[in-house]
Amino acid sequence: MQWQFSNDAPIYTQLIQQVKVGIVTGAFPPGERLPSVRDLATEAGVNPNTMQRALAELERDGLVYSQRTAGRFVTEDNTMINAAKRSLAERHVKTFLEAMLRLGFRKEEIIALIEQELGEEGTDHAGA
Amino acid sequence: MPVLECKGLTKRFGGTTALDEVSLTIEPGRIVGLLGPNGSGKTTLIKLANGLLTPDGGYIAVCGSAPGRESHSLVSYLPERTAIPTWMTARQLLDFYGDFYQDFRREAAEEMLDHLGIQPRQAVKQMSKGTREKVQLIMVMSRAAKLYLLDEPIGGVDPATRDYILSTIIGNYNPEAAVVISTHLISDVEKVLDEVIFINQGQIILQSTVDDIREEKGMSVDALFREVFRC
Amino acid sequence: MLRKLLKHEFRATGRVMLPMYLILLVTALGSNLAGRGMLDGRSDVLRILGVLIVTAFGLTIFGVLLLSFVLMIQRFYKNLLQDEGYLMFTLPVSVHQHIWSKLIVSVVWFAATILAIIAASLIVAYQGGFLREFFDILRWFFEGLQKLEISEALNGSVYLVEFAVLAFLAMAVFSLQFYAALAAGHSRANHKMVWSVVWFFGIQFALQFLGSLLFITLDRLHIPFPFHLEIQSVAVAIHVGLLLAIGAVILYGAIFYAVTTFFLKKHLNLE
Repeated sequence: MQWQFSNDAPIYTQLIQQVKVGIVTGAFPPGERLPSVRDLATEAGVNPNTMQRALAELERDGLVYSQRTAGRFVTEDNTMINAAKRSLAERHVKTFLEAMLRLGFRKEEIIALIEQELGEEGTDHAGA
Repeated sequence: MPVLECKGLTKRFGGTTALDEVSLTIEPGRIVGLLGPNGSGKTTLIKLANGLLTPDGGYIAVCGSAPGRESHSLVSYLPERTAIPTWMTARQLLDFYGDFYQDFRREAAEEMLDHLGIQPRQAVKQMSKGTREKVQLIMVMSRAAKLYLLDEPIGGVDPATRDYILSTIIGNYNPEAAVVISTHLISDVEKVLDEVIFINQGQIILQSTVDDIREEKGMSVDALFREVFRC
Repeated sequence: MLRKLLKHEFRATGRVMLPMYLILLVTALGSNLAGRGMLDGRSDVLRILGVLIVTAFGLTIFGVLLLSFVLMIQRFYKNLLQDEGYLMFTLPVSVHQHIWSKLIVSVVWFAATILAIIAASLIVAYQGGFLREFFDILRWFFEGLQKLEISEALNGSVYLVEFAVLAFLAMAVFSLQFYAALAAGHSRANHKMVWSVVWFFGIQFALQFLGSLLFITLDRLHIPFPFHLEIQSVAVAIHVGLLLAIGAVILYGAIFYAVTTFFLKKHLNLE
């Protein structure tokens, strides 16, 4: 897993996002045990308390659950993972739209641009 | 009980006041950044906590008692400079720490030395500057102390060594102990810290958690530091 | 903890002193060989070689003496007052234990050096009839002992003990005066070495001055000597003299020790 942090948001919220991405993309597969807080913190290069806080938050949301002695596990509930995937996607779209609107694009122009990009991507793939 | 506590702590050198009525509390389980420009009083505070200096006023306590022989067995201290005797071999250094500190985890230290590819028979003298700093940090972090006082652990080393040092600190995290890291290289340590203390001209000007700063100010601690200490 | 400090102090110094004693042994053996025909032989090469070996032996004696002196100062300075001081003064060990460990180790090496030089000289002097002569002297000595009166024997043994004590104390105080000056000088912010030298001569001057003042006052006061000097007057006088010397050395030592602890405890100022 690649861990990257921006400077403008709290670290624990960024950790929540990144663990979510890990779960959605399968880096942390459903039902699998998560590494220990210390190992995750060492890997991400962050404070163990901050990592603990992020995992506790994820636990509250239900994406991970803990078993008293065995540690923390990723949920096996696929609807939940899909919901997380959807909310991550929505966030990306939202920031994208905000940026586009700030640049002065209108709704139709944005859609046209997206369709054009998607079309080009398609021909790229065909060509390759 | 706080691991480190100061009240009205004052230290003067001749005419200059190095620490001016400093009061602060550090609780167990926290990794705290002591941040300030050069000459702000960071090292003086750490030396006072180690009993290497005596205060001119106020009060300082480690786990409830004044710095001295008893507190030395609770505090693991990484000085600014390489203090390990250079004539010693890695093994002699392990003997030394094991003899004087009951909380020294020799196996942990041996494992970390081995991981760096350092032979037990290798003398400190034969090591590069960066390796010496790593070896010294390994000795310091291999103790199961109550308080770790790390004075500029990442100053003057290359970025790879910096990463190694920080991950060693995280990897040895103990919820019953506190770690104090003094530095002016904030962006490198920011993610590792729970709390930060800003110190300038011998006075504490801010004590807060990293995520509170980021949440309230919408900027990193590094950015805030640059704003506060703008020349 | 003192035991552990001593262990590591001997480790630190032994690696310097022991090889030096080995060199002393080798040059002594060489000089012994040189004495057996090399020096007055016919071959120029052998003669030159012999002279060189004997010169090396002389230089080694000088070297080993100098080394035990330099090491005494260097261990205190480098291990406690330089960078290593950060490590040493944050050990769970008292300042007293630090000073005693340094002191004991220096005195042991001083004594060992003197013994090593005596042993090396015996090695150089050893020749065919040497052992017989040596034992002759010993026999002569013990025969003499048997003729002694009990009081003479007793006095003699006590002198020996008093002298040994005085010698050990003198070596310890010799070291302590350097410790005191270094500890005091290094409490300054700058020019630590210059201040150490100033302190060294300052302490010497002050003690000489006070000592002379004391003697002059005692002389002026005309205090009668508190002993009735009778038949054994000379023997008693020697005892009194040795004991006074021991007392004076202890007093000096106590002053140096107090100065050293004061500065290391209250005014430690590592760079």
